[in-house]
Amino acid sequence: MNLFKKKKYVPVTVRPSSEYAPHVPDGLWVKCIVCGKTVYGKETGEYKICPHCGGCFRLSAGERIEMIFDEGSFQEINANLETKNPLSYPGYEKTIAGLQKKTGLREAVVTGKGEIAGLTVYGAVMDSNFMMASMGSVVGEKMTRLFEKATEEGLPVVAFTASGGARMQEGIISLMQMAKVSAAVNRHHQAGLLYITVITDPTTGGVTASFAMQGDIILAEPKAVIGFAGRRVIEQTMKHQLPKNFQTAELVLENGFIDKIIPRPQLKETLIKLLRIHNAVKGAGA
Amino acid sequence: MFHKILIANRGEIAVRIIRACKEMGIQTAAVFSEADRDALHTQMADEAVCIGPPRASESYLNMANIISAACLTKSEAIHPGFGFLAENSTFAAMCRDCSIRFIGPDPETIDIMGDKANARKKMEETGVPVIPGSSGLINTIEEAEKLAVKLGFPVMLKAAAGGGGKGIRPVGKVEELESQFYNAQSEAKANFGNGGLYMEKIIENARHIEVQILGDNFGNVIHLGERDCSLQRRNQKMLEEAPSIAITDEKRKALGEEAVKAAKAVGYKNAGTIEFLYDKNGRFYFMEMNTRIQVEHPVTEMITGIDIVKEQIRIAAGEPLSVSQDTISLRGHAIECRINAEDPSRGFAPAPGKIQYMLLPSGCLGLRVDSAVYPGYYIPPYYDSMIAKLIVLGDNRQDAIAKMKRALEEFVIEGVSTNVDFQLELINHPSYLSGEYDTGFIMNEFIL
Repeated sequence: MNLFKKKKYVPVTVRPSSEYAPHVPDGLWVKCIVCGKTVYGKETGEYKICPHCGGCFRLSAGERIEMIFDEGSFQEINANLETKNPLSYPGYEKTIAGLQKKTGLREAVVTGKGEIAGLTVYGAVMDSNFMMASMGSVVGEKMTRLFEKATEEGLPVVAFTASGGARMQEGIISLMQMAKVSAAVNRHHQAGLLYITVITDPTTGGVTASFAMQGDIILAEPKAVIGFAGRRVIEQTMKHQLPKNFQTAELVLENGFIDKIIPRPQLKETLIKLLRIHNAVKGAGA
Repeated sequence: MFHKILIANRGEIAVRIIRACKEMGIQTAAVFSEADRDALHTQMADEAVCIGPPRASESYLNMANIISAACLTKSEAIHPGFGFLAENSTFAAMCRDCSIRFIGPDPETIDIMGDKANARKKMEETGVPVIPGSSGLINTIEEAEKLAVKLGFPVMLKAAAGGGGKGIRPVGKVEELESQFYNAQSEAKANFGNGGLYMEKIIENARHIEVQILGDNFGNVIHLGERDCSLQRRNQKMLEEAPSIAITDEKRKALGEEAVKAAKAVGYKNAGTIEFLYDKNGRFYFMEMNTRIQVEHPVTEMITGIDIVKEQIRIAAGEPLSVSQDTISLRGHAIECRINAEDPSRGFAPAPGKIQYMLLPSGCLGLRVDSAVYPGYYIPPYYDSMIAKLIVLGDNRQDAIAKMKRALEEFVIEGVSTNVDFQLELINHPSYLSGEYDTGFIMNEFIL
């Protein structure tokens, strides 16, 4: 019933936009990758978890370090390493510069030494905001130096992995990092030292095929995407529909590739337990 | 002054706000659920945006959609009305983050007063008399028992995060304590996500007297007198009047000053109401503060001549209060009767349906009808059942009662059952006429 006999269309007066125009600032609302629902940023809580489905929002390196390491204990190493564009890939340097400005990082991984509940460890946190945390010469070098330092000082390593794979712009040099880092990991392992990986969403490609899967204990976050080749590539190659939960942490766990899925609020606690047990064992055996 | 306001509500309050905006030359944007496509507020506003399906949680409580509607319509401010998101500090903070003026108090103030146990504590600290009870939350049965014995039974267990009468359990004797504690706790948890409880002594045969507050952004806080809302059925108000005939002018002044003191203590801005319990011995106690405009605001408007909704808009736009305490005078006596679409023969269960025919009372001096329904309108079953408020202003209480009787008798509605007959019975009851009633009156006197 059209009570006031209103016309369907009315002329709209365009007002000049003033500073008071309502707008939603970026980041106030975020979209959950897992369930697709729009979530009010503050409702994700201190652990940045989707209140609807429990999916974990991706964290920046800074956020992860704050969540896991004792306050102020994390000392970064090799912070200034940056790529020299080994293949002179066009446009690459500009992209890197832009990302450095945007994220405040020089590269896709932050490595350093810190304490978790007073236990000293070497830590690496990959940041998907930096070119999808793709692994190039710098990520490889930083990871290698991290393991070398840890081996030298007889300390465990905790690595939080995330990656879209090898960095295309550095070609074969990126691929070669897989072998390089794996070798460093192995030397750390030969020294009888503990290496825990926490696989976060998404971890794929060369990182999965190398150091992410080399942990003595491999943990993962719920619903994280874990895989090697991309889903679409596999479907097109195999000409075969893949199950809906393909490449999720839950399916990967079922198939025996990871040890345990830990919900984010319990992650620090779990790492503390594992580090304490191994510290005690190490102390006892020494 | 705002160019455009979005009204994040429905029904008669939405209509009320739209009317005030029109009179102030402010453009209006309404939001409606799919069930409210034909609602009066949807049709009355300059523009309307559909914000979701009928269920309130997906529409009128959908913060993302309402904020989007405000951005879409370029509304500089949102008036939340009452209920829904009116006392939701997350929503108020969200408006602030999106450069939208929330017509109400600051989110921080909503939080302080929204936690009832905390509010009590704050009032105690300020020196406002509170109902004897716990200082903060009660965490264990042992604590509860100890305190209840000290206060003396009966006591009331109340949800700290509560409202709307939920999460409240009376305890008559110590044997009932344990089960009522767990009952209140789980109802509170289920309704508000927070099982925290506090305790108050039950003050029997008290009157519910509330004071209307207005505060601007410059620290000025005034009161507009009190309202007597003792006539309640199951914690739902049925009839309200202003001023209260139970208190003297001296007490009125003191009550007003306590209310202003309380509001100033939390830096209150915009319209709000401080609820007090007034006992048989002439003592009043702070009960809680409602950080929104209330359903019964018209009775205060009638006796003061102040348009509270327009004041709310002016305050939010950054203007100082248009009146000061000494320029306010209370004239006459006002009564409001809430007319609900409910079936008295079925325990007042809501009775939605189509209004076939309707004749609203009108004419003469001092009659006002706030309503959002019209003949041919289908009352949706998803929301509360209030369809109109009849408000009268008389020279004195007797005059006001006579006018209300006339108005109720003139009210005709076909197609839905209403509580009009019940209101007539109430207003003709000797205890009502003598003014000797308290919060227990309706439940005790009327066989429901």
